Amino acid sequence: MSALCDPPGAASPPRPPPSAQELAQEVKAFLSGVDPAHGTKLSPQEHARCALLLLRSLPPARHAALQHLRGLFDEQVCAHLLARDNPGAPGAGNAALEEVVQEVQRVLAEFVRANPKAWAPVVSAWSIELMGQLSSKYAGRHGVPHAASLNELLQLWMSCKATRTLMDIYTQCLSAMIGGCPDACVDALLDTSVQHSPHFDWVVAHIGSSFPNTIISRVLSCGLKDFCAHGAAPGDLLFPGAGADKRVPKIASVVGILGHLASRHSGSIKQELLRMFHESLGPARDQHQKATVPFLLQLAVMSPALLGTVSAELVDSLKPPVLNQLHQHFAALPRDELDNMVSIVVHLICQTSAGAHRILHFLVNTAMPASVITAPGPPLHDGVREACDRVVQLLLLNLQKLVYNRGSPNAAEAPLPRPVPFLDALRPHVRELCVETLRLERKRFLWQHQLLALLAVYSAPHCATDALFHLLTLARAPDELALATQLYAVLSSCLTDLLPATVKTCVCQIHAGRLPDAQVAQLFRNLASVVQGDTGDGGPAMGTQLGAVLARHLHDLGQLLLHRDGDVAEAACLLLSVLPLPRAPAPAQLLGTVRAASHQFFLVLRRQNAANLGCSSRLLARLSAVSPAAAKAVLQQLVEGALRRGNAELFGACPEKTNPPEENGAGGAGVSLLDTNRRFTAAVNFSGGVWSVFHAGVIGRGLKAPPGRGERPPEELANNIQTFLSLLLRCSRGARPGESSGGIHPEAAKAVAAALVENVCPEAAGAELTWPPEEQARGTVERDLRICRRFRDHPLLFPLLRLVAAGRPALCYCSVLLRGLLASLMAHWEACRDNGTAGSPWHLQASCALVAAMAEGSLLPPVLGNMHELFPHLAPFEVHLLLLSLWEYLRENSPLPQKFTFQPERGLFRRDFSRDGDVGKHLAVLHSVLHKNIHRLGLLAGRFCP
Amino acid sequence: MSDIRHSLLRRDALSAAKEVLYHLDIYFSSQLQSAPLPLVDKGPAELLEEFLFQVPKERGAPPKRLNSLQELQLLEIMCNYFQEQTKDSVRQIIFSSLFSPQGNKADDSRMALLGKLVSMAVAVCRVPVLECAAFWLQRTPAVYCVRLARALVDDYCNLVPGSIQTLKQIFSASPRFCCQFITSVTALYDLSSDDLIPPSDLLELIVSWIFEDPRLILITFLNTPIAANLPIGFLELTPLTGLIRWCVKAPLAYKRKKKASLSNGHPPSKIAKDSTSGEDRDCHQLYSKLHLSVLQVLMMLQGHLTEKNLYGRLGLVPFDHVVPLVEEINRLSDELNPLNASKEIELALDRLAQALQVAMASGALLCTRDDLRTVCSRLPHNNLLQLVISGPVQQPTHGALPPGFYPHIHTPPLGYPAHAAHPALPAHPALPAHPVQTFIPGMTFPYRPIR
Repeated sequence: MSALCDPPGAASPPRPPPSAQELAQEVKAFLSGVDPAHGTKLSPQEHARCALLLLRSLPPARHAALQHLRGLFDEQVCAHLLARDNPGAPGAGNAALEEVVQEVQRVLAEFVRANPKAWAPVVSAWSIELMGQLSSKYAGRHGVPHAASLNELLQLWMSCKATRTLMDIYTQCLSAMIGGCPDACVDALLDTSVQHSPHFDWVVAHIGSSFPNTIISRVLSCGLKDFCAHGAAPGDLLFPGAGADKRVPKIASVVGILGHLASRHSGSIKQELLRMFHESLGPARDQHQKATVPFLLQLAVMSPALLGTVSAELVDSLKPPVLNQLHQHFAALPRDELDNMVSIVVHLICQTSAGAHRILHFLVNTAMPASVITAPGPPLHDGVREACDRVVQLLLLNLQKLVYNRGSPNAAEAPLPRPVPFLDALRPHVRELCVETLRLERKRFLWQHQLLALLAVYSAPHCATDALFHLLTLARAPDELALATQLYAVLSSCLTDLLPATVKTCVCQIHAGRLPDAQVAQLFRNLASVVQGDTGDGGPAMGTQLGAVLARHLHDLGQLLLHRDGDVAEAACLLLSVLPLPRAPAPAQLLGTVRAASHQFFLVLRRQNAANLGCSSRLLARLSAVSPAAAKAVLQQLVEGALRRGNAELFGACPEKTNPPEENGAGGAGVSLLDTNRRFTAAVNFSGGVWSVFHAGVIGRGLKAPPGRGERPPEELANNIQTFLSLLLRCSRGARPGESSGGIHPEAAKAVAAALVENVCPEAAGAELTWPPEEQARGTVERDLRICRRFRDHPLLFPLLRLVAAGRPALCYCSVLLRGLLASLMAHWEACRDNGTAGSPWHLQASCALVAAMAEGSLLPPVLGNMHELFPHLAPFEVHLLLLSLWEYLRENSPLPQKFTFQPERGLFRRDFSRDGDVGKHLAVLHSVLHKNIHRLGLLAGRFCP
Repeated sequence: MSDIRHSLLRRDALSAAKEVLYHLDIYFSSQLQSAPLPLVDKGPAELLEEFLFQVPKERGAPPKRLNSLQELQLLEIMCNYFQEQTKDSVRQIIFSSLFSPQGNKADDSRMALLGKLVSMAVAVCRVPVLECAAFWLQRTPAVYCVRLARALVDDYCNLVPGSIQTLKQIFSASPRFCCQFITSVTALYDLSSDDLIPPSDLLELIVSWIFEDPRLILITFLNTPIAANLPIGFLELTPLTGLIRWCVKAPLAYKRKKKASLSNGHPPSKIAKDSTSGEDRDCHQLYSKLHLSVLQVLMMLQGHLTEKNLYGRLGLVPFDHVVPLVEEINRLSDELNPLNASKEIELALDRLAQALQVAMASGALLCTRDDLRTVCSRLPHNNLLQLVISGPVQQPTHGALPPGFYPHIHTPPLGYPAHAAHPALPAHPALPAHPVQTFIPGMTFPYRPIR
């Protein structure tokens, strides 16, 4: 028993080994805990020293000795915790125990140093297991922090002498083995981690951060070994739930440990994982290397963090040679194993968020059939391509399941839909996806299109509308546009209100100015062709609905008719022209649109583009068909526009001379105050009354640009006039499509008439319709002259007048103009000293036209109305006389609408001249003129018999 | 037996184990009184496996395990039991019924327990246990013996520094065990790979034992009734073959190990430090010493063989073991670059030649020189070996010996010009690297045996 009585410091190596008898005594003492010599009980210290002695000199007793020492450490921890709880109490045997603990550490350290290969596994397993036990045992104790607060736990245990010593011992073992093969040490770590997981985490954290690289690589390799040993039953890899922890026990702790380290050493972990992957592809493959890929997959399944760390770079490293190797290695696997693996891969892809777009790109690129133009580098094996193809298809299938099963039937059970990270990550890439889809490359676009649909359903409504919007904007050909309609066909079944939202998105994007002009135009053209339904299957349904929805945005679209880019305006016009217009739009919107449309019409007319002209006039016609008021507004706008400076030249008006020559400044080109006002105003009525408020321009912008002085050939003028008039006719007929064509409706004609009066002579707009005595005309000479000059400047006015005349009794409303014109002409002829009327051709022509118009408008009885046929053959004073007689007739039979009666059988208003007074007295002058010139006018005499 | 089993089932693991030993003792004591050679029943064996080696009998039953403290207690109890059992035969039969391998799954824990028991007996010097173990080593297939040897070597040479002294002391306690231990150790460490080179502590231990008393090697042989046909798969009667293998192969094996550690480019770590040159030199000296002792024992052997009337009937160094040894030397010397390792190859071949010659002369190796010649024909050239396989001039035959058997040692004439005799010898086509031991029949050569 000499060893027991030795002071602790004397327990040094040079002491000779005990003899066999002594040793036997020691064993007895150790086992019984009683000093054999004195028969007294051994104190803990003595007992521990006894164990140490056996450890040193009795090899087969080492496990027993180590086990006994566990109790020592346990006591020490207990004492430490007690001392911590009540700091006042003095730890009696504590110091002695501590000494023994140190001695244990010294002895073990000596062993490990002497023969690390033999001792490190034993000692490390012992120390780590003991730490696990201790931390589990004292986990629930008062004062010990919860397992979740890792830092506090670490602080507590590292301040405890016993656990600290154990940690040092383990660390020494690990560092002794680090050059060789630390697998045994790490294995023990993993095993214990499995057993004591949450409470043991502080050990893992501490060791992991002390030896990050070793721990990472070794933990992985041990995990792999374990994985190989236990094998992964193929079925339930995806569901590591109840059964898995028994079967693959270590992988969970591998995941846990790596999870601890991931926060600070994610770079190393990533490198290590990638290294494992690439090494496993090497030519010499043992069983472990074969299992590497399934192992990594399993890891990724269990830890989203690891998956996220590695996925992006992994994809980058999957170059053709690597893929070919992979294929080669997995080609030999049985079918069901492969299927299982592919399903795991698909599952993982669904769970990937970082780099999802890259992964998608990679998959689709790899799965694409080989093109004729081969990329540089080694060619890809066909098997790889097929595999990728399969993966893509399964991925889509899986995503579809995920997306459509998200809303479970009982919503109370799953209030939050299960997220699909892959789709979440793709959300910002909708536009790229659309662009790629629109390339219409074989196969690929089908996948991408399908994915778009899934994405749209998954993150409705935003992605759905965005996707549709992008497709609609970016499509350039009918087959590309078909993608949009197909997508809609898919989505419409499960998403409501998709189209309104989409259209709203489009409008918002345009208003926000996010689209370049060309794309806006393209978008409108695409929308138009969808509405027209010429995009193949599925089109019509979408077309009609889209039309209805778009019609709600009439105002927004109408504003775009005024877009500074002609292309956009034309496209908008095209779109509007095919839209079904709403039945009762708000007047403000309607009028705004009407104004914009008529403006656009003149712009187009100036450009001489037949197709656009067609759209533009169709749009106006349809607008006018909305309501009588709309028709009126259209007509009014058209007339106003046609007579306006700038547009008037289109119809042969000479540029006005009233503009002072100094207007030819260069600044402010392209700025038209009127245009500006058109854009700004929201007023219902902008017809030029005194109550209108104007934008008067920006002071300091300089002068207006002179209007273009292009000389136009007469054919063009005639053509323009023809176009304009036919448009007017269409518009006037618009609201009543059922009625017979041919004539202009009286109401429409009246509107034109009112517009004419207002534009030619605004101050006379409210004047009386009754015809005044001839003398009274003297008082309005100036006005009459102005009217006359307007007619002279605007060749369009006479045709307009004829048009109005055709819609009896509308011409009555123009009586101010007629009066003024007639008065001026009379004055001219009275003053004219020429021999014949041919001397002043315009006046002759105007006189003829005037009389003809009045005859047409039934303001004059037939005989009087033929009078103009004589004019070219008469002398000016004779013309004057004739016109004077006309005046008289009108004076007596004022041109009032009341004189017309509606004839339902013909659908027309007619004037019955027989109810008026006798025409005879008014024919006297005519007849005398006839007589006087009978030699020349005999042929015509028959025309003037009442 | 079943009622015993039921009572045992209720106990805890340790007391059940004790109880089993107790019942076993009673059983065999009574059996031995009735019959001189009792058969071990199935019943007791099953009890042992269930309660001592903890192999669960029913599937699914949780195995009762002894913890390491209890195990130590059990070991102590067993040691004491064997110590106190006075009857040699009971001791033997209990030991063998405990530890004879049965070829079932209890064998692993059986061997583990045996290893610990013997190790414990070594430490606390329980001679009866060691004697039993020596006996066990003799009657157990070599694969199990090797496991026991490994357990002991691990305990005393690897794990506890300085404890080799404990092992050394048993030389005086149980030489018989020492002899069997050496045999099993040489069977274990056959130098076929770097891991199977004996640890230097072990080597030193064995050399010191043998050097102290070379007859230690022969103890088993001398104390055992010999059957003419040695059974296959058991340890040999003497460690002679193994020791010859050690001495012959050691120079080459150490060279290979050095080369491997150099070419691996490992920085000399703690593990690799024991192969430093100083220690290597010590080892070489030890091997020289060992070689000498082996040769001495071989010389001694002739007398013992004659005494036992086994001369020429029992090959203690079986020719079947010489053949693979020669082949391995051949392979090793091919493997090592002959230019770098010529010294080591020379040494190995010298030792081989000496051992062969002495073994043949003393009657331990039974073969003809022709056999040797065919076996050694592909070895690198060595003067001594050339002489040995050529053999001495035919002597008048020994009456008791078969023809072609050469019992005496003949010193060949010094300076025999091996190369000068056939200077124009063409290089062997298959082995162009080194000169080859070829027998050329047409040469005038005085020592060539006439057949």
